[in-house]
Amino acid sequence: MKALYIASTGMSAQERNVEVISNNIANMRTTGYKRQRAEFEDLLYQQITRAGSQTSDQGTLIPAGLEIGSGVRTVSTPRVMSQGTVNITERELDVAIRGEGFFMVQLPDGRTGYTRDGSFERSPEGTIVTSSGYAIDPGITIPGTADGVAISPDGTVSAYLDNDTAPTQLGQLQLARFVNKSGLESMGDNLFLETAASGPAQVAVPNSDGAGDLLQGYLEMANVNSVTEIADLIAAQRAYEMNARVISGADQMMQATSQLR
Amino acid sequence: MIENAQLISLSRQIALQRQMDVVANNMANINTTGFKSENILFEEYVMPVARDQDFPRLDQPLSYVQDWATMHDLSGGAMVQSGNELDVALNGDGFFAVQTPGGERWTKSGAFQLSANGTLVDLNGNPVLGEGGPIQFGPEENGILIAADGSVSSSAGQKGRLRLVEFANPQELTREGANLFAGGTPVAATNTRAMQGFTEKSNVSGVSEMAEMIRVTRAYESAANLAQKQDELRRSAIQRLGDANS
Repeated sequence: MKALYIASTGMSAQERNVEVISNNIANMRTTGYKRQRAEFEDLLYQQITRAGSQTSDQGTLIPAGLEIGSGVRTVSTPRVMSQGTVNITERELDVAIRGEGFFMVQLPDGRTGYTRDGSFERSPEGTIVTSSGYAIDPGITIPGTADGVAISPDGTVSAYLDNDTAPTQLGQLQLARFVNKSGLESMGDNLFLETAASGPAQVAVPNSDGAGDLLQGYLEMANVNSVTEIADLIAAQRAYEMNARVISGADQMMQATSQLR
Repeated sequence: MIENAQLISLSRQIALQRQMDVVANNMANINTTGFKSENILFEEYVMPVARDQDFPRLDQPLSYVQDWATMHDLSGGAMVQSGNELDVALNGDGFFAVQTPGGERWTKSGAFQLSANGTLVDLNGNPVLGEGGPIQFGPEENGILIAADGSVSSSAGQKGRLRLVEFANPQELTREGANLFAGGTPVAATNTRAMQGFTEKSNVSGVSEMAEMIRVTRAYESAANLAQKQDELRRSAIQRLGDANS
């Protein structure tokens, strides 16, 4: 009687599913958040009669086998890396990426993080940093005397210094692209890390090599769609309940067995 | 012979337990992309005759229950728009072909990913096969498009065509787990359309599986009851017949 264990795999898979959905809903308003989706697959099958085995010496074959599955497992929670909507904020250091590509962030431990969250700030020294205070890579410093910081679609940062009449170029933002964006590891704080599955980062300036371009004064919202998430939540909840019913059904059968004398 | 009734109800109970396992597996996979539900079939296994010399009567054949096959229900599941360019759903009887370490396998689950070197892979990293082998994307390509006939293109032009296969008798396929089917005689699909940006949900119907489950538990209980009644019958027979004073 495997039904008990099979249904319990179903319950734990749906529990995972609800966890993923609730994280998506919790991050509905997180800048640059990419929603996750739980993907399931069936477990091994026990082949009791194999399709195509001989049933007589006349060469007659069994047309369909008898196979009993053993449940479900969560195989992965890939992120859906689609473009989020861009919202106007009118802050000069808010930058949205339109297209592929991630900003590179210098982490305190020396690694490079990747993010779609372009809500940048200035450090006391004038360096462009993320909202957690990590410097972006390549580092760009905006002098204290600068005025009217402009970020062009190709990432060039320029500003008017010391009441100059022409803007001075301060640096150029760069973007990293990955062959398999879903393979990035999430480290929280809106940051991703490169993995063997994502492939190495390919650094390019915005607007070239398919890296996407930048929009100053905009932020990319989360790509979570509340209606789909709620629909998925309902489906997951019902699936959980039905699997629980199967467990109590299997329990009734076992009870009928144990009451035999 | 009185034992026969008990053995027959035992055969029924064993078959019902298997059926419960099938229901549980369908239910566990109610949210699995591209899962196809299973139905179990039973047949009557007829024992030639039951002979008994002491109580002469007509010899009667005994029919036991035997589970015979599980049929794949290959009807379509609900198509859900996911907006992900690497999600492909198949509308029709076709399957995708994937290359696993054990050879070619077939799947209905079209939630694909790219590997680190740009190959189109399934969720376990097995390459998805095109007509001319795996489909490969370069690092600087975007705008992946998959047309209804399975042809794949990107910003760098045509990338090949997904290998879609159909089977004259899909019941020959065996399930391997991980959403994969094995075996069968594949022919090129003619009756299948690929839909990009959609995933095909499991075709398990919660209502019918619930109804099936209730039927199975009730049938199991009544078989158990039958066994118990037979036991009581035998006991009273022994008591009555063994009582020398009556």
